Amino acid sequence: MNPPRFDVSLRVTLGLLLCQMLCLVSSIGCSTHAKRVSLSRSLFYEGQLQACRDRLEKLHKSHRQDRDVTNLDLAVVDLLDGRTEQAESRLKAVRDRFDRLEQESLSEKTLSMWTDDTARSYAGEDYEKILIRVYLALANLMRDGVDAESYTLQIQDKHEAVMQKLWGEAPVDTNSKKFTGLPIGFYLRGMLREQTHLDYDDALRSYSQVAELLPTCQAIQGDIQRVTQGVHSEPGNGVLYVFAMVGRGPYKIESVEQPTSDALLIADRIISAVGPYKLPPTIAPIKVPKVTVPDSDIEGVRVTIHNQAVGSTVSIADIDRLALETSQAARNELIARAVARRVIKKATVAAVKQQTSSNGLTSLGLDAAGVAWEALESADTRCWGLLPRSIQVLRIELPAGSHWLSLAPEYLGQIGRTDARRQVSIADGRNTYVIGWFPDTFTPPRILTSLY
Amino acid sequence: MRPDDQPVEKNVWKRRRWLLGLVSLGPLATGCRGYQYGHIVKPTASDMVGSHEAGSEVFHPLVDESVGKLLSKQQEQCLIGPDGSPQKKTICFVCVENKMSEDIGDFKDQLYEQIDSKILESDVFQPVSRRMVDAALHETRLRPDALMVPDNMNLFTAVLQRQGAPIDYLLYAKLTSGTTQRNSSKQRDYLLTLELTNVHTGIYSKESAEIRKGYHKTALGSVWNYNPLK
Repeated sequence: MNPPRFDVSLRVTLGLLLCQMLCLVSSIGCSTHAKRVSLSRSLFYEGQLQACRDRLEKLHKSHRQDRDVTNLDLAVVDLLDGRTEQAESRLKAVRDRFDRLEQESLSEKTLSMWTDDTARSYAGEDYEKILIRVYLALANLMRDGVDAESYTLQIQDKHEAVMQKLWGEAPVDTNSKKFTGLPIGFYLRGMLREQTHLDYDDALRSYSQVAELLPTCQAIQGDIQRVTQGVHSEPGNGVLYVFAMVGRGPYKIESVEQPTSDALLIADRIISAVGPYKLPPTIAPIKVPKVTVPDSDIEGVRVTIHNQAVGSTVSIADIDRLALETSQAARNELIARAVARRVIKKATVAAVKQQTSSNGLTSLGLDAAGVAWEALESADTRCWGLLPRSIQVLRIELPAGSHWLSLAPEYLGQIGRTDARRQVSIADGRNTYVIGWFPDTFTPPRILTSLY
Repeated sequence: MRPDDQPVEKNVWKRRRWLLGLVSLGPLATGCRGYQYGHIVKPTASDMVGSHEAGSEVFHPLVDESVGKLLSKQQEQCLIGPDGSPQKKTICFVCVENKMSEDIGDFKDQLYEQIDSKILESDVFQPVSRRMVDAALHETRLRPDALMVPDNMNLFTAVLQRQGAPIDYLLYAKLTSGTTQRNSSKQRDYLLTLELTNVHTGIYSKESAEIRKGYHKTALGSVWNYNPLK
């Protein structure tokens, strides 16, 4: 048999292509976002907000692909530091960018098949998109609250879109273990509509939606009863809402996974669409991001007014559960992309070897380059890493005027160290808001009070 | 070329094509991600029709029709003052109540403003400012739906009177809906009712407007369910 015909120009092209690929992967490196932000996370949970901000700002400048997530982390730091305006502006920027990134980019899709998923712009997880709007509403309430109602409408819109994406037109089944939604948006809307002393029907509608999502929550039943028969507050009284950000929230780490059969099926479809190749019968484990939630020793927050305990916060947003559920829903697609990427890389190296009719040494070199190409791949661990595990709330009706408030974490039926007392002003017939941050029982909490 | 070379050659070209196909994706990859654009809708252009819920296409005509009916009816009953001009009735537009199965979101406040503006422009009524109504409800802590209780009514009107805005009428706007389901299609009837109550006599009158809207899963759903040839 004649040796295969060999086109010199094609050989040069393919050689250049491989070099280009190697340059590309070398620019990516093995470092993941999870590793890069680990120091800032530690600083944050040690309560060193200024040092955490400096570190995040450095990352923000140096890593273009991480900019949106570092901006989100910076927004949390700003909010807890009382820089609510800056937090709101950062959140708005990321919200708009994530909205734009919902459209696929062919260039990034192609590039990610040659490199890894970090080559894609991070478009945000579904739960992050809802929470950006929740944080926008909370940040705005801490200022003047002018845009808070608009943000609550945006939360509802986004929530509906996410539910539609995950469930289609089917009604939400709260008994199912699937994604069941985030009630905080509806709660915030109900809270604001009730404050008008006029739109009790809107408030009832919103609280009813919360009750649908949290069927066992007793506190919301009280809210429903109040807006059905009662009023926002008695004459001469106002309302204090304490929002507690409790525990350490979810973040992504790199994990090595064996592709599932569902994932292989999706990967096969991707591969078939790109070229004539089929999936090999076995695939070695691949690197994918995995959502992890740190253990939490804190259950809730005890609220004390004038040294008198008035109640404990209840969860209206289980962020950890939501993050795990949504990431699980997207898992097969994610693994499939990694499998397809691996097949494409292997096939490219094989094709180059065949086209260049490489001898033993060159072939060995190409194999080594191929292995390095695959090994340099890293999982896309970008995420909003400074979220709490849950957001909890307590509503307290108080006489108008100044009150001494203190908050303390609750764990294993015990009350932790009470934070220093602070004064809050309650306005007649109006809402006042307090945000408390309790990552664990050791870290000193941070308390933020609304300006108006 | 020998005949037995054919499959090898074919395979090589297949591989080349695949590889070149991948390479060619690069230049193609200029990105499909676009920007968002906006434009001003001409006043003469018809409203966008909501695919899942009611929107401008439902609410605007409902307001126009119901307020138009109310004003024309009240104009007939209008008293003429000593100077020959019609005597305006002082009216307190309390709220828009949403009793529909849909959430109207940001439309609620807009509906209030639209109705309030139309009443203000008329020769029949002199409305009380919404801010005064809000302040009175805030002060009395009365629910809007509890104003018809005589004691509550007296308290509310007394507060408005103290603010310099005595009233003759209370006006409520109520949105209701009725849904008919037929397999995957549904028809929803939207009704806006304006209820006017004389605070002195308790006599009330109502005007309403209705719009029916069909929702379908397919583009031909409207033809299938509402046969235009019938």
